[in-house]
Amino acid sequence: MTPTIDFKQSSHLDPALSDPATRTLNADKVTGRWLNTNRDTAGIMECVVTQEGEDFIVKVRGAGADDPIDWPAARVKALANLEEEAGQRAVALAPVFDLGFMTAETYIRVNKGVLVIVLFNTFRDGSGRSNYLNREFFYRPE
Amino acid sequence: MQFAQISDLVEVDTATLASLDPAALPGTWLNSNPDTTGIARLIISEHDGALSLRVYAVGPDGLIEWDAAEVKVFSSGPAVRMAAGFTSLHDFGFAETRLQGMIMKGLLVLAQFHHFKDDSQRVDYFVREYFALEHWRN
Repeated sequence: MTPTIDFKQSSHLDPALSDPATRTLNADKVTGRWLNTNRDTAGIMECVVTQEGEDFIVKVRGAGADDPIDWPAARVKALANLEEEAGQRAVALAPVFDLGFMTAETYIRVNKGVLVIVLFNTFRDGSGRSNYLNREFFYRPE
Repeated sequence: MQFAQISDLVEVDTATLASLDPAALPGTWLNSNPDTTGIARLIISEHDGALSLRVYAVGPDGLIEWDAAEVKVFSSGPAVRMAAGFTSLHDFGFAETRLQGMIMKGLLVLAQFHHFKDDSQRVDYFVREYFALEHWRN
């Protein structure tokens, strides 16, 4: 008897999702050290992604007033990225950084050699600041 | 004031503190891709200052309406009081989908994170789709 496969949209039934290789496809396109394309950024200056088995460790460094600010590392599983053409497909990551006063929900993907980080920042300190989103671009230094 | 990047560091006048104006979000958002196998349209509604989201996804036999979900609103900066995006969470039991929407020049870029909780062995996946706000201006 064929098991029932639940779905809430047709893409939940995409045959590629049943291929375990999809999860780590082209992971090397994401791993490594990445620098912000904007040298004057007031956001994330640098991102380092490493792989440990099926896990990915994401470390970012924020621009500080005097020195860079190292955020606590986040460990995540990769997400299959089905949106690109087959040859361009690489995993995406969705690390969440708990900074105490703020939580940054992010997603990271690579598009034509550019690492894109999108952040949804939520303040938890009652400071009155608006929760805000931001997007930054990174290149791989030689 | 604590910060993790300089962009977090802003002066906030707590005496004139206002909630985020969500005006950019409500309406019917249509997927730019008529052949999508994901979400066909979103309807965001405002009631008493709170936003709710209805999602209509493409299924093999027609549109599938997801249960309504609350929307968490984000601006484009910590001192900005205009909405520029949102997040929502949808728990289907067998799977959980997190949506992150960002408005850019009138286009809603919607990132979708699908996490399977059943024993189907499907891999979690990510996809982005683009949506335009339906309007009647010619």
